[in-house]
Amino acid sequence: MHVMSLFYIVIQQLVNGLILGSFYSLVALGYSMVYGIIKLLNFAHGDIYMVGAFVGFGALGIFGSILGVGWLGITVALLISMFLVGLLGMLVHRIAYQPLLNKRAPRMSLLITAVGVSFTLFNGVMVMTNGEYKAFSTSLGYEGISLGPVNITYTQIIMVVSTAILMLVLYWFINRTMYGKAMRAIALDQDACRLMGINVTKTISLTFFVGSALAAAAGVMAGVYYGSIHFYMGFIIGLKAFTAAVIGGIGSIPGAMLGGLILGLLETAGTQLPFVGSAWKDVFTFGILILLLVSKPTGILGKSEIERM
Amino acid sequence: MGNSVGLIDRLKENLGGKKTRGVALAILFAVVALLPLFANNYIEEVMTNTFFYIVLALGLNIVIGYAGLVDLGYAAFFAVGAYTTGIFMKMGLDFWFTIPISIVFCIIAGIIIGGPTLRLRSDYLAIVTLGFGEITRIVARNLKITGGASGLVGIERPTIFGHKLYQITDFYYTFFILVILAIIIAMRLHNSRLGRAWQYIREDEDAAEAMGIDPVKTKLYAYMIGAAFGGVAGAFFAVKMTAISPETFAFTQSAMILLAVILGGMGKIPGAILGAVFLVFFPEIFREIGQTRMLVFGILLVIIMVFRPQGLWPQRKS
Amino acid sequence: MSRKFLSLVTVTFLALALSVTGCGTQPSAPSTPSAPSAPTASGGEIKIGLPLPMTGSEATYGKDMENAIKLAVDEINAKGGVNGKKLTTITGDDACDPQQATAAANKLVSEGVVAIVGGYCSGAVVPTLTIYNEKNLPYIVEAANSSKIATQNPGNTFEINGTAVHQTQKAVELFKKLGATKVALVEQGDAYSSDLANQTEKALKAAGSTVVSHDVTTKGEQDFSSLVTSLKSKNADLVFWTAYYADGALLIKQLRQGGYKGAIVVGDGSSDPKLIQMSGAAGEGIYVLSPPVAEYLPAAKQFADAYKAKYNQAPGAYAPLAYDGINLLADALKRAGGTDGKAVIKALTDTSGFAGLAGKVAFATDKTLKESNFIVLQIKGGKFVLQ
Repeated sequence: MHVMSLFYIVIQQLVNGLILGSFYSLVALGYSMVYGIIKLLNFAHGDIYMVGAFVGFGALGIFGSILGVGWLGITVALLISMFLVGLLGMLVHRIAYQPLLNKRAPRMSLLITAVGVSFTLFNGVMVMTNGEYKAFSTSLGYEGISLGPVNITYTQIIMVVSTAILMLVLYWFINRTMYGKAMRAIALDQDACRLMGINVTKTISLTFFVGSALAAAAGVMAGVYYGSIHFYMGFIIGLKAFTAAVIGGIGSIPGAMLGGLILGLLETAGTQLPFVGSAWKDVFTFGILILLLVSKPTGILGKSEIERM
Repeated sequence: MGNSVGLIDRLKENLGGKKTRGVALAILFAVVALLPLFANNYIEEVMTNTFFYIVLALGLNIVIGYAGLVDLGYAAFFAVGAYTTGIFMKMGLDFWFTIPISIVFCIIAGIIIGGPTLRLRSDYLAIVTLGFGEITRIVARNLKITGGASGLVGIERPTIFGHKLYQITDFYYTFFILVILAIIIAMRLHNSRLGRAWQYIREDEDAAEAMGIDPVKTKLYAYMIGAAFGGVAGAFFAVKMTAISPETFAFTQSAMILLAVILGGMGKIPGAILGAVFLVFFPEIFREIGQTRMLVFGILLVIIMVFRPQGLWPQRKS
Repeated sequence: MSRKFLSLVTVTFLALALSVTGCGTQPSAPSTPSAPSAPTASGGEIKIGLPLPMTGSEATYGKDMENAIKLAVDEINAKGGVNGKKLTTITGDDACDPQQATAAANKLVSEGVVAIVGGYCSGAVVPTLTIYNEKNLPYIVEAANSSKIATQNPGNTFEINGTAVHQTQKAVELFKKLGATKVALVEQGDAYSSDLANQTEKALKAAGSTVVSHDVTTKGEQDFSSLVTSLKSKNADLVFWTAYYADGALLIKQLRQGGYKGAIVVGDGSSDPKLIQMSGAAGEGIYVLSPPVAEYLPAAKQFADAYKAKYNQAPGAYAPLAYDGINLLADALKRAGGTDGKAVIKALTDTSGFAGLAGKVAFATDKTLKESNFIVLQIKGGKFVLQ
């Protein structure tokens, strides 16, 4: 077998980390957006990602027979899943979170509600799928570019490019549109926004739509890329994306993107590094997270603010 | 839903008088104390499990309810307690001597986790405690001394006054005594100087600091005491189960204990008890519906929170 | 709340509690008058407890085993039952979790079962062994096979699946046949897969082979690319996955996608037709260590047909063993001439020449199988082929 030199290992691991990180980033965005606007750690977000994968799976099953299971079919399934799961996000907000926001309930109660939503989605999908794994069959192959022993498949390239496109669209949406402006304004001061005639509830709903749609996109892409989906696939990535959002500075959009990439690279490095290895990789990641937070408590791109519980 | 909540309120009003409340409590004690004479193994097991979660919930309640600090990794303390007892018993130490060691180790763990992180914002505290919880579990999984992924098996059953605790009834009473001790300690703490300091910090940290309370030190005490509760519960868990493995201390465990505290009502002792009872009883009662029961549990959780965000136990009217 | 009153109640209670636990219970006396642990209480029925995962991620296995057991029970009852009594089963959901498993075990004991058959997750089986043993209930463990079960066996437990030790022997044999010199082990950090990986590492080292790495993945993790790169950089020529099929399929795909060309072997937890479906083209040529699957057992043809007819699906990997387990119990009950726990345990210990679907059952001194029943399969043309 070909002996990989250190240089190639580093390059290959960078590629691996980047791809893993782009999934984390997409999911982390939803955490960060929701946190930014209502200061809620939306625990159910990882499960939204999982539901997204299943909706995409269903859509591909229906439209795949007409459009094929190549890129066209996948794109349609992706868009359908983004839309439907976005609506699901809005529904969750309206049913579970908004009543508590209206009552100005303690934030801890909101957190528990989110855990309840997470339980509901997780177990709901488990009951519906009978706890079975679904194979996401697509016609995508392993062809790609080889630079020496470094492999990059076209699928991987398309995944990273799509993530970048989604992020750019989001960036434009937040910074250049009225809705985005309203979101940012609400994050700063809800009451003032209400006085200025901004429909706060609607804007929060919209935030949930966007965040959930992004998670659904990540879910479908993960299904396509890894080839199988199951009801607990959201748990680990939810945890990791949450960590990524905090690393980048929770509430900050570019922070979530950066945090995801950093986390992906850290984990990849952890697997390869001597004295760390796969068994200790999560300890390594969480260790770095804690060190980072202790030395820079607001994350990398987070704004410092004084906060009281 | 609103109806049943109203019922609890009315119940409480009726129980408002000291005398009636005393009588009600005495009856409750008598029922729980005499239960093993009538109940079968299964009911005793479920009750023992409930007692166990009550102790954990009371411990976490000190951190969350009294001091207002988020903790998503409480299972870590429970793990430290269980493993410390397990390891020292494997070395030949008597169970009762391992309890103080477990407590000390847990307090040290509390200091390690709390020390550097208590200055952080609450949401960061959430992720940091979650991270520590995961680290504890993974360390337990990877080390030789903790038995790796298989965990420790064949932990001896303890002996008290020449009587070996090994039947479920023995553990029923052991854990019941633990619950009573935990309630007494939690009540005394709540009314102590430290308890008032926690409350003060929770309400207004700046004002508390201005009044000469050291917030970091005071918060650290909450962590240390909460950790000690987890340690004791963990020690008894180890000898009851005779086998402990890292899976038991996963994030879901921390989330469950947290649910008990908040569901019942943060900061309230009867609330924490009620939360723990609900948490253990619900899935057991609905065992028959199998897979669907956790789904119902999730939906119910959302409904309770939406209609009663302050928790099941009614607020004290002041 | 009046504190004085509370402390008074506490003291009285403590005294009460101590008097009850201190002198009330002798080890031999049944502590629960209402629990009919005496076998005669079940009348014309023989109740058998089935601790199996019915919820959670392992629920499909539990359901499959339950199906097979119920099929056997129906057949036995149709032939007139055992000792003139009908068999009935009660399933206790252990959810593959130690705490839930002890609750389920106590529930089964309370329901008055006279024997236990089942057990899928090792982690959930180990803490329940003493609970059953205290009531002298024989326990036939059908699938769980961590080496910890044998070491913790209080005397009532019989394993009819090959153990980790058996599987390790088979694995090392296979590795040798494949000419592997640099073996990479990958486990999932749970009791079962970690036990298998550790035993294999020990055996390989004893045989003088090189273990280039021993990695741990997390359940539910989807991306193994960094692990793949790391394995390639260590020049592994054989990867042994010791955990379950779902994550195994992901690893197999990513190994091939990442350009790994060496051999891949998976343990019995991955022995499932879904492995083929989920790993797709990457699955070709993979070796699978498997418990005796119905398809490759000449004696199991009739069983497989009956199973398909009743449940409208093919029996899973542990269905034959589950079927054997309950039949073995029925056989032992007949030989013991009743349901007395000690007599049944004795009868099980003396089992010789019981012919199950998976072969003859006889127990070694540690109450595990005398001879391994593991088989080696290879995926060829999208199908398992017996090696």
